[in-house]
Amino acid sequence: MAPCWLRLGAAWSALALSGAALAAAPAPSLQVAPILYTERVLANGLQVIAVPSHTSPMVSVQVWYHVGSKDDPPGRSGFAHLFEHLMFKSTRHLRAEQFDRLTEDVGGSNNAFTSDDVTAYHEAVPSNHLEVLLWAEAERMSNLEVVQGNFVSERAVVEEEYRQRVLATPYGRFGDAIPGAAYQAHPYKRPTLGRIDDLEAATLADVAAFHATYYRPDNATLIVAGDFEPAQLDAWVDRYFARVPRPATAVPRVEVEEPPWTRDRSVTVTGPEVPLPAIALVWLAPPVTSADAPALQVAAALLGRGESSRLNQALVYRQRVASQAGFDADLRIGPGLLSASAIAAGGRPLAQVGAALAAEVERLVREPAGAAELAKVKIQLLTSALLTRQTPEGLAAAVADAAVLGGSATRVNTDLAALRQVSAADVQRVMQRYVGAAHRVTVQYVQDAARP
Amino acid sequence: MIGPRGWATILAALCIGLAASASRAQDYATAPMPGPPRPLTIDAPIEQRLSNGLRVVLARRPGVQIVTAQLVVLSGAEADPPRLAGLASMTAALLTKGTRHHSAPALARAAESLGGALDSSAGWHESEVAITVTVPQLDAALALVAETVREARFAPAELERLRLQLLDDLKVEYARPETLAALAAQRLVFGRGAYGHPAGGTPGSLRRIGRADLLALHAEYYRPDNSVLVLAGDLDADAALTLARRHFGSWRAAPRRIATPAATVADEAPTTTAVIEMPQAGQAAIVLAVPLPRLGPDRATAAVMNEVLGGGYSSRLNQEIRIHRGLSYGVHSGIDARLEGAALRVAIQTKNESAAEVVALLQAELDRLGAQPVGATELAARRAALIGDFGRGLETTAGLGAAVKALIVAGLAPTDLPNRIAALGAVTADQIQHYAAAHLGATRRRVVVAGEAPQFAGALRAIAPDLLSVPLAEFDPESQDAVAPGRRGPRK
Repeated sequence: MAPCWLRLGAAWSALALSGAALAAAPAPSLQVAPILYTERVLANGLQVIAVPSHTSPMVSVQVWYHVGSKDDPPGRSGFAHLFEHLMFKSTRHLRAEQFDRLTEDVGGSNNAFTSDDVTAYHEAVPSNHLEVLLWAEAERMSNLEVVQGNFVSERAVVEEEYRQRVLATPYGRFGDAIPGAAYQAHPYKRPTLGRIDDLEAATLADVAAFHATYYRPDNATLIVAGDFEPAQLDAWVDRYFARVPRPATAVPRVEVEEPPWTRDRSVTVTGPEVPLPAIALVWLAPPVTSADAPALQVAAALLGRGESSRLNQALVYRQRVASQAGFDADLRIGPGLLSASAIAAGGRPLAQVGAALAAEVERLVREPAGAAELAKVKIQLLTSALLTRQTPEGLAAAVADAAVLGGSATRVNTDLAALRQVSAADVQRVMQRYVGAAHRVTVQYVQDAARP
Repeated sequence: MIGPRGWATILAALCIGLAASASRAQDYATAPMPGPPRPLTIDAPIEQRLSNGLRVVLARRPGVQIVTAQLVVLSGAEADPPRLAGLASMTAALLTKGTRHHSAPALARAAESLGGALDSSAGWHESEVAITVTVPQLDAALALVAETVREARFAPAELERLRLQLLDDLKVEYARPETLAALAAQRLVFGRGAYGHPAGGTPGSLRRIGRADLLALHAEYYRPDNSVLVLAGDLDADAALTLARRHFGSWRAAPRRIATPAATVADEAPTTTAVIEMPQAGQAAIVLAVPLPRLGPDRATAAVMNEVLGGGYSSRLNQEIRIHRGLSYGVHSGIDARLEGAALRVAIQTKNESAAEVVALLQAELDRLGAQPVGATELAARRAALIGDFGRGLETTAGLGAAVKALIVAGLAPTDLPNRIAALGAVTADQIQHYAAAHLGATRRRVVVAGEAPQFAGALRAIAPDLLSVPLAEFDPESQDAVAPGRRGPRK
């Protein structure tokens, strides 16, 4: 959730390729060069990763704090995200919105996002501004001083963000309701945007306490990617970040465990304006660090990636029961979610859509995927990785994601190698384990009975 | 700071000596000074031409292993016949739904087995099939692009399937207040001209479109002498020409001339402020639009003016509405530049009860642009932000291809790409003030608010006495008058 503003085949074997151009399909294997980076940890615990790349005179500076909406304080749902917005307000030595002056006004950009597990701040600037941004990130790590007026006005912005994303978007309420319907105990059950009454209850004292608790060098990863000279970067990082003190207290961590799902459950969510009803089938996923993660990502791609994916071909194209259908493997530091979802086609009963969705997912549990289909999704995933690496921002985010969520920066390279090794049997095994042998939650989204 | 290739390269040479001496005494209370500027070099795209008239434009980005390929037909929604809104869009969408040789599923599978996806769509004065793949897959990808553009079948079964899918999509789109506000505002600023109609079609027009209509549009406009192959990424000019010849060299144009569509621009509609009553809307969506003349040498002026007004996070509108008052998650303005006309369009969502206050703030900021010059610091900052966004957009092959396509569709030379930065950098405060005073007058502005009307209609009527309010059930996206047939005056 950014503080910034504007910002979804059964017939695989039956439909053989025939033309000369198309017959060439199994393509030469795609080589993805490893990302070269260096990594060190300062005495105060700050993890620093440098990714040199000189394809443009730009540099990306990113600070990923290991705190997310799972860490919202009690009675303060949405607080981690509200806090993210406040990091653009005043500090001891920076005026409110001065980050915009240091980035946009010199030809750069800045933004941030909050997920269940992390809060990440990122800038892209012409590389001669690197030192300035390192100073500024260290400053807001150390000296945040939000004032009441800015707190109140930015909280109003976050409430408008909630209205825009949840209340004023056709399937906003559906997406917002899924975590609460799925998780039984884990704080992942709170949607990242929270609730307006909890946001209204927040105070400046909460802001100071949250910063002191989580915004500290031993709970952060600094990633710099792009056009810089490594020795110079090290000197600047030492200069501005080494002096940020490491608190003596331990960083609190979520200890609640999600109990096993022991039965199938079903929840119906309603909205005042539901153009076409929708349904999601949700299973619990292993942590992103699990050895099963690459096979689950391949399974998700087989089911939901692109027009040729199984769910689109079966539900949208052949059976015409859905207007959209997809599959998401939302893998997290803790237990994530595997979701198959679909929006009904006009006039189709939701029960029929749900049955078709379940049948197609279960086919991947029962039968191994073919070699050509498996090769297809691998090249899709590898190409997608290459696309994100074109910019300093994309490079930095890929390494940060591996380091912070995956637990090790090396995974930015080893995950792609692991992806190549996934076999049809691997896919079938993980689908049996996490879907076939597991219980699921069904979430249906339908029109309010009270529609005028 | 950031400049076109010539002098920028000189700057690069100067930077090396200075960087090492940047270390200095400093307290931590003030930001360090930036180092010497670093150049951004933009290579001019290379244009070639096949004997059948197909233009081949290459924008190089060596080393990235990726190419974005776009076959752009220089005709689009403006060619939709009356009552057949969405025809160009459906024609483009059906290109990838089956050819003489392959079914829709086979085409999708083939493209995705190359790592990309066939993406076909139509806009104003353009229709395209695009794909982004790694270099080793480019030859096979272009074979698919050529097959879809040249040999699409428009099979009746696929037409019916697409029709139902698009009708479902419209149900979802029409549940968004911002979609309805934007459609109504487009009609208000472009009046009865072709630019006023919904390019994506309407529930009525989508039901009327027949296979013969699709075949006629395709035969008329999809021809090599009305098309450009844009290749952006990791290949050279010889390879571009060889691939273009291989896949498009035998494409023949029909001997007749291309038809000229009906007038695209007309006088704006008389209604200045309209409300679409959406009782369930969780927010009010506001669109303010102003018709602009066709852009010419003033293109950069309009772009910088828009950046000052609402183009980026630190624009005036976002400062006043989001940052200072907390009234919205964000406001955005843009120049909708079409070949024969243009419009300034501001879009924002706010809680229903704030809608009238936000409209007044929008109007005040438009007034200010024409009344006072932009200050030097603000102008320099907003120009830099715009130039920076432009430069960063070119860092990906898809962004580079989109920038080149935009120039071509606007009737400009693609080789002009590097000069865009200098043009933006040269815009003055005087030029912006004059442009705003000449074109953004209060009588030309059109405002549409879609939302829970009882929450804001009274306050809005106080500042817009001629307000026209229309219940959602009466909103007609096909109406040429305004937002509902025959409804041109105030309604209590």
